[in-house]
Amino acid sequence: MKSAPRNRGGASNRAPTPASRILVVRESHETPESVAQSLALAGGWNRFGEPNYRAVWGWNRLAWIGGKFEDRDEQGNLLRERFELRLEPKYPAVNRWHIERWLPPETYGSPRQWRAQTHEMAGGQNVPALGPYPSRGEYEHCFTLETPGGNFLQLTPMIAQHIARAIERSRSFPGAAKRRALYEHLGREERAYEDWAYGLLDDAAPAFHKQPFVTVA
Amino acid sequence: MPAQANANVVALQLEKVRDKVPLLYERDDILLTMIQQRGDVEKVSSRNMRLPLQVNPGGKAGSYNADGGDLGRGSGTSYDVAQVSPIFFRFAIEITKLVEYATNGRERAVENAAKREVANGMRQFRSFLDKLMQTAGNGVLGTISSFASTTWTMATPPGAALVYVGQTVQVYDSTLTTNRGTANVVAADPISSTQTITVDANPGGLTAGDVIVHDGLSGAQPVSLFGIKYHQNNATTGTWLNLNRATYPVQLATPRVNAGNAALTPANVRLAINKVRKALGINHLSKLIAYMAVEQEHAWENLGITVSQIIKEGGGSSGNDLDLLFTGRKTMSGVPIKSSVNADQTRVDFLDLSHWGRAVLKDIDFYEVNGNTVFPIYGASGGLAASYIFYFDTAFQVWDDSPRSGAFIDSLARPSGY
Repeated sequence: MKSAPRNRGGASNRAPTPASRILVVRESHETPESVAQSLALAGGWNRFGEPNYRAVWGWNRLAWIGGKFEDRDEQGNLLRERFELRLEPKYPAVNRWHIERWLPPETYGSPRQWRAQTHEMAGGQNVPALGPYPSRGEYEHCFTLETPGGNFLQLTPMIAQHIARAIERSRSFPGAAKRRALYEHLGREERAYEDWAYGLLDDAAPAFHKQPFVTVA
Repeated sequence: MPAQANANVVALQLEKVRDKVPLLYERDDILLTMIQQRGDVEKVSSRNMRLPLQVNPGGKAGSYNADGGDLGRGSGTSYDVAQVSPIFFRFAIEITKLVEYATNGRERAVENAAKREVANGMRQFRSFLDKLMQTAGNGVLGTISSFASTTWTMATPPGAALVYVGQTVQVYDSTLTTNRGTANVVAADPISSTQTITVDANPGGLTAGDVIVHDGLSGAQPVSLFGIKYHQNNATTGTWLNLNRATYPVQLATPRVNAGNAALTPANVRLAINKVRKALGINHLSKLIAYMAVEQEHAWENLGITVSQIIKEGGGSSGNDLDLLFTGRKTMSGVPIKSSVNADQTRVDFLDLSHWGRAVLKDIDFYEVNGNTVFPIYGASGGLAASYIFYFDTAFQVWDDSPRSGAFIDSLARPSGY
């Protein structure tokens, strides 16, 4: 049997008793004002006067998802099928801070192209799979804040600034340099493999065939 | 007592490194070895491995009239069985007599030569198998769109990405019925836009539109490693792991987004990810990886919403300050990116590798006959040739027990410069 989910504090969300029916299903956080200001200062504002960068908490960031939904129980068994448009968390990592960047509406093509690309026939209905056309542009995912080990990392103004500036610097690099960097990165991985492999094989057959050094007086 | 032969010395060196061979092979840095071996099913006999699949749910839900109404009958869960049978793969390495002469036959020098060939050979073998992982299970490594003399221009995808210099390939007609013969690759250019291969000699009857497959396959409709395009496929005809796709057109089809030869956009990515979420439950995405060619990673960088490799490598003015923040992985809408030079240049695959596995009949090792792992080569006369040969071999097949747990975007444009 699957164990009961736990909230971040570690308390178990067990089936509520009649006396206590508080059940934490999602944890929401508003972006600290200082972080929002730092990001805006680092990345500037878009044509609508909104910041180019923003930080959002995973559970707070919802987006339209339309089409045929298959609702399943905890064991993965199909419960029902529904054709609808839902607001759901946009990113899979719901318990993390995410940095987003605003992209202009033209990134998504014309409203006509958007309709052609994103509308799906489901249950005899034409459902907008990503919701309406983003006429004011849309914020897209840049970066999920977590430690190198994949654990939670708290959002601070300094971190937010660093990330925004790194992305801005990335944007200024010409395509050829980016392309070269990608291949160089793969080349470095190849060389790292080679070094690792030779080291591994040297360990198998060490110098002097494991014969001890003999001190000659 | 017979004199010591160089083959004996080489065999001795190979034995010294023998226990390191699996480590060299199972390194977790390419798609093939990222696919976890699942303990309960990994070891198989030469018979087919059976994968029971729950293809349809059971039970009848509905309302009823409690005032004496009929509650109706029930139903049970439907199961079917997918099957995989391992394929044998080998990688042959020859050391010529010149090694002995060049090193004056000193044991230490022979040891170094053997170690070098083991390391290089294993890297090449893993690379070969990883290239097969990009295919549709028929061993097709590319399509010849045109040819001039012995230079073949390859259709992209996959262009010339799935062959390597020195490889022996076979040419089949486009229907994979007629084997026209073999050729040896003497040059390959998978990077530039030309995507050409040069071979030593054309097989007879070579025709534009022919396909190339790897060495060792035979007969019509050959079967090789079941790669990404075999499992991540939305076809409703044909077979999948011995099941008829037409019988389960929904259950076996991987969600697809057709980019229509346009550049990658965030909308494509969200559509693909959302298709998985709608099918499996809205929050069941934690294990996905976005697998793509370097071209599409570049296309994603071109959208200007990610920190590029240049900055990650510390190439920026203060890039090093940021290193501590980075997990080392770029993401695509929150899904970690894994890029490869072998991947299809016009495609992005979202893979849930927890559903993938390998049915292994024989682990990687030296090919052995009566305790011997190094064998002499014989010349055309029947006498000895001045070479020795040894092999790596393994037998396995790749399976995916839930094709709907992934998604793919195809027909993507390649960024300019590729």
